[in-house]
Amino acid sequence: MSPGTRRWRRVWIVVAAVLLPGVGLGFALSAPEPHAGAEQRPPVAAPALAGTTLSGERFDLADVRGQVVLVNVFASWCGPCRAELPLLVEAGRRWSPEGLRVVGLNLRDGTEAVRALLDEAGAGDLTVLPDRNGTRSIEWGVRGVPETFVVDRDGRIVAHQPGVVTQQWLQDRLVPLLGAT
Amino acid sequence: MLAAVVLLALSVAGLARSVAPGPTADPTQAVATGLRCPACQGESVADSSSPIAVSMRQVITDQLAEGRSPEEIRRWFVQRYGEEVLAQPPLRGASLLLWVVPAVVLLGVGTAALRTLRPRRRPVRWRRGAVDAAPTGGRGHRTWWLAAGGLVALVSAVAISAGQLARPLADAPAADPATVAVQLAHDLEGQQRYAAAAEMYREALRERPDDGVRLRLAFALLRAGDAAEAERTAREVLDRVPDSPDGLLVAGLAQRLTRPEEAPATLRRFLSVAPSHPAGPEVSRLLGS
Repeated sequence: MSPGTRRWRRVWIVVAAVLLPGVGLGFALSAPEPHAGAEQRPPVAAPALAGTTLSGERFDLADVRGQVVLVNVFASWCGPCRAELPLLVEAGRRWSPEGLRVVGLNLRDGTEAVRALLDEAGAGDLTVLPDRNGTRSIEWGVRGVPETFVVDRDGRIVAHQPGVVTQQWLQDRLVPLLGAT
Repeated sequence: MLAAVVLLALSVAGLARSVAPGPTADPTQAVATGLRCPACQGESVADSSSPIAVSMRQVITDQLAEGRSPEEIRRWFVQRYGEEVLAQPPLRGASLLLWVVPAVVLLGVGTAALRTLRPRRRPVRWRRGAVDAAPTGGRGHRTWWLAAGGLVALVSAVAISAGQLARPLADAPAADPATVAVQLAHDLEGQQRYAAAAEMYREALRERPDDGVRLRLAFALLRAGDAAEAERTAREVLDRVPDSPDGLLVAGLAQRLTRPEEAPATLRRFLSVAPSHPAGPEVSRLLGS
């Protein structure tokens, strides 16, 4: 082997010693981060939720301790929220005798726009808390609309769905909680 | 050659420092820049116009007004959104490899270089061929020196630039308290919370007396419905600068509520000293009616 070949081999060894860990590092860093799904999170105490509803009544989550509360964050400007609303209204009617309370947290919306939506969905009697500047939703860790939280009878968030809920999702989460008494 | 490599590494570090966002005077913006918008792809809370990001900025403004430190606010968001909400999460797991791997590589290359460069004890007999062999050994050494120098420069550049990129976040909250208070007051005015805004302007004046801020305080007081205090504040400015247009304007508007008989004279004086003031037409209309 000529001295020139040996020299180049050394250079390549050095280059490989730098590049290989670099490539390995790139792979390690680009691996998807484990995103803690809300469903797997341990139950946590629900943040406070109190204020005057759209119909002018006082609502406080602490006052409905003992009931199962479905908190749905929605807005009239969000298409999927509009599509989801009838399902939530139906869930409220179906399970309210068993102790379910459905509460809408209305994110950055206009009063008239949300009233029109509720009328359209036949949800005039739904408890709706306006969140005009969005700070209540941020307190709940909301990432987008719609987003739904299930609060158990002890005031703990036991299920959470970012995005639209389905009939099956509601059935699976609510029935065990409502049948527990 | 080695000097050129080091120069290149330093210029990379310099470039990284120059493209890093500088400290901003707006404290809400400074905290928001350090948070990732959870509803967007790759945008900070400061940059995004999504409703969630706008709401998060509102929370930051509210918490700053309540006296919370930027670090406390960041912790508040981490509790709700996890560490992925931070634009620069703390070094942990894979991120630590960024520091450990170059260090291990440096150590390995250094050891190899030492072994290669150690002078050999074998006696060299003087012969014609030895003269030809010498330059080859010199080039081998140079290769090692260049490779090691380049590696050191690369690692230094990464370390320096990483430090520089992280710095603006830490420095940002150190804006002077008067500027912070004025900015907060301005935000509160935007939310029509004039009494709270007036309180923040007073806070700013305690830190740094300034007639500009005093006039903004007078306007906030007027909007909050405290005409008497608004006029008194405007008078403090007019005592020093008798022809201050904003001082005359706020004093005149306040007098319409407290001493209506004196208001027209003050407002006319305002119109004479600042005929092209944006509020001029409205004041003329008030005087005419």
